[in-house]
This record gives sequence, C-alpha cells and structure tokens, in this order.
Amino acid sequence: MTPVRRTLPAAALALALAGPSAAHHSIQAQFDINKTITVSGTVAKVEFINPHSYLTVTVKETDGTVTKWAFEMAAAAQLRRAGLSRADRGGLKAGDEVTVLALAARNGSNTGLLQELKMADGREFKFTPDPTGN
Amino acid sequence: MHSPPSRRLVALGVALLVASSALLAQQGGAPRRTTNAPPAPSGPTPRTADGRPDLTGVWNALGDNLNGIPNQMANNGILIESATSARDLHSGLRIPVFPRNTTRPQNYEEGERAAALLRRVGANRPVYKPEYWETVKNLDHESNVEDPSNNCMPAGIPRAGIPSYIGQQRDHLIFIYPGQGGLIATQTMYRMVPIDGRAHTPLQELDGTYTGEGIGHWEGDTLVVDTWGYSANTWFDQIGGYFHSENMHTIERFTRNGNTLTWTVTVHDPDVLLEPWTSTPRVAVLNPNPKAVLPESLPCSERDLNNLVTKEHH
Repeated sequence: MTPVRRTLPAAALALALAGPSAAHHSIQAQFDINKTITVSGTVAKVEFINPHSYLTVTVKETDGTVTKWAFEMAAAAQLRRAGLSRADRGGLKAGDEVTVLALAARNGSNTGLLQELKMADGREFKFTPDPTGN
Repeated sequence: MHSPPSRRLVALGVALLVASSALLAQQGGAPRRTTNAPPAPSGPTPRTADGRPDLTGVWNALGDNLNGIPNQMANNGILIESATSARDLHSGLRIPVFPRNTTRPQNYEEGERAAALLRRVGANRPVYKPEYWETVKNLDHESNVEDPSNNCMPAGIPRAGIPSYIGQQRDHLIFIYPGQGGLIATQTMYRMVPIDGRAHTPLQELDGTYTGEGIGHWEGDTLVVDTWGYSANTWFDQIGGYFHSENMHTIERFTRNGNTLTWTVTVHDPDVLLEPWTSTPRVAVLNPNPKAVLPESLPCSERDLNNLVTKEHH
C-alpha cells in the first residue's frame, strides 16, 4: 500500500452489516477456523479483561499430570449478558467442571477460541455467530 | 490485507464487513445502528456562564468505540448507507457493493478479510514523503507485531479520537479516553488541557509523551486543541502503519451541535509527511442520561500475539 491518495477502486464489493466479534488481531491468524477441540476440566480462573477475556481450565491427564488450557472468550459484556458474570448469578467460578468446545490453536499450544461451553449442571452456552452474523 | 488495496479489491471482490462489532452492538443499551452515517444533532447546545459552548458530558451514546459501527471504520470515512450502498465521505465517490449472502454464517475468514479491506478503501490518506512509503507499507503489513496499539499500550493522540468524557472548566478541560479491547487493545488515557491563554513549552524542552502538551483556545464556538511534545511511539490513525516523528504537531477541533460533538484533527509532521493531513470528521453523541457516569474500562493484558502463525490482520 503506497501512502498516497488514490481513487476508489471500481470493484464490485459485497457489503455485510454484521460479522464475527471484533478482535485486536486476526482470528484466523491464531486459530484454525475449520478445526475444533473439546476439553473437559476444572475452571482455574475467569478473567474479564481486555482485549479478550480468558477462561483457564486445568485438565488432569490419565497419567496424573495436570495440563493448563487457556481459552479466549468473547467480550466481557457479552458473557455478562449470557449470565456468566457473578458466580451467585450463575456465572463461572473456579472449581466448576466444564466442557469446552473451541477453535484449535494453529501453533499447537494449549489455547483455543471458545465456541461452546457446557456446565456440569447441564447448561450450555454457544458463542458462534448466527446465520446473520450476530 | 496488506497489498495495494485497489488491486486486492478488484482481484478479490470480497465481502465487506461493516460491523464486526455486531456481537457487541447489543451490549451498551444504545440502539444498534445499521448505517454509520454521521448522527444528526438534536437539542440545544448548552453554554457556560462565559458564553462558551459547554462540552461537558459523557460522549459515548454510540456505545464507546465498538457499539454499532466502530469509530475505527467511521474514521476511515466509508459511509455505509445500507446493505447495498456505500460511499466515500471524503471524495463523495460511490463504492459499488452487492449484499452478502446472509443465509449462512459468515465465517471468520470472510469477515476479517472483508473488514481489513473496508478499512483501507477510504480516499482520505496522509501523503508521506516517498522515502517513507516502504516503511508505511511494511508497518501495515507487519501490524500484528508493529501496531503500537495492539498490545495494551496507549493509543495516543490523535489516534484515540474523541474522548468519552469531557469535563469543561473555565480555564481547563479534562479528557478521558477509556482503554479499548476491540479492534485495538489499549489502556486508558487522560488529558488535562489548559484554556487560559498560556503558550506552549518550547518543543525542545519537552520529553515526548503519548498525549503530548495540549493547549486549548476558542475560535468562535469551536474548541481548538493545539498539541506537540509527542513521543514517536504511536500511529496517528487507526490503521495503515501511519507512524509519525516526535515533531508531530496536531490541531484538533471540537464543535458541539446539540447532542453531537464533531472532531477533526490536522496532523502536521514535515519530518515524514509531504503535507498536513486532516482526518475525516468523526461525530460522537452525548449519553442521553444526564446522570450517566463513564464506566471503568477493563484492564488490558495481551496474550495472543505470540501465538499468531500468519500475518493476517485487520
């Protein structure tokens, strides 16, 4: 891109009015949008922070070792709206048993982009865009 | 998307994404917008005892920067009129569009690439000296790691745009810019801007900072904030690798009309620019609740950039 004024391209461009949630980086640069992983474990930490909230889950492997997973979550306000704010209002808290469906990290690290969350009490939360992109 | 946008656009003809913030659009209580046309003002413009327009208030009725159409996009001057119509605010040229397929979910790849293109289609661009063209291109290309506002550092002035809170006193103003966690990742900044007629500190005596030394004065009903004394650690617009020198000098203009506040900035930086650059006007809307307070922005802790495997970016 040369930093000079240029006229607008006469290209036919599709125009969308909605899309996946905003992120400060490209989702596809970090996660495989065509590959999901499922991880069951114990919530170690819930952090409502910028630029992404994080859910840290520890998984006890069959050999007894403990693996830590870090799942990137949607904006804090969206999670609050879904009822995932305070523990006493049904939110997540350390010690909860959860199953996480996430987009896999492309670099093979123990990270993922949260897509679905199943709680031990049967509640399920989905964070994928609907057909209109919302 | 980092190569010449016109060629990319012609070649790809990809979907444009306007509101990647749609998920967030329902959060702030503000109605979701389907166009980013500058909001029409309503109501009177209050004045202070000395007759100046009173800019005091919480200017976040569009939902901070990420509710409805992000300021990052409005800043680049693309007027989204409807799902089938868009126009460049600066040139007035119409951008040919066609509606995207809404019968299936838009995946991240489509959405992100469309958004990346949209942010680069505006005609209002700074003109750098030729010897810096490659630098700007490379900064944009490598923005996942080079963007100084991608890892929880302050956005700086003028990239931060319109403050979300203004407190106006007779001899000074307070500006608060909450940290953002959307398309960029920044921390909260504040400015205390005197309007008491004082002169600037000589530039050579100032250590560069993210907000610089801003001094205000009134030109009619427009508040003009003249700032220098910047560090060179920020970009002056939302995207594009628009770096600047420590000699950057900015002139911001704030004009209140009813419940709207229009802001432009002119960037003077003869070290790197061939000519001053003036932003496309941005418009903020006053929070309709007179008792509104500005909510705390979340602390920022960036943990993703080390896990990126491609250079794809916004």
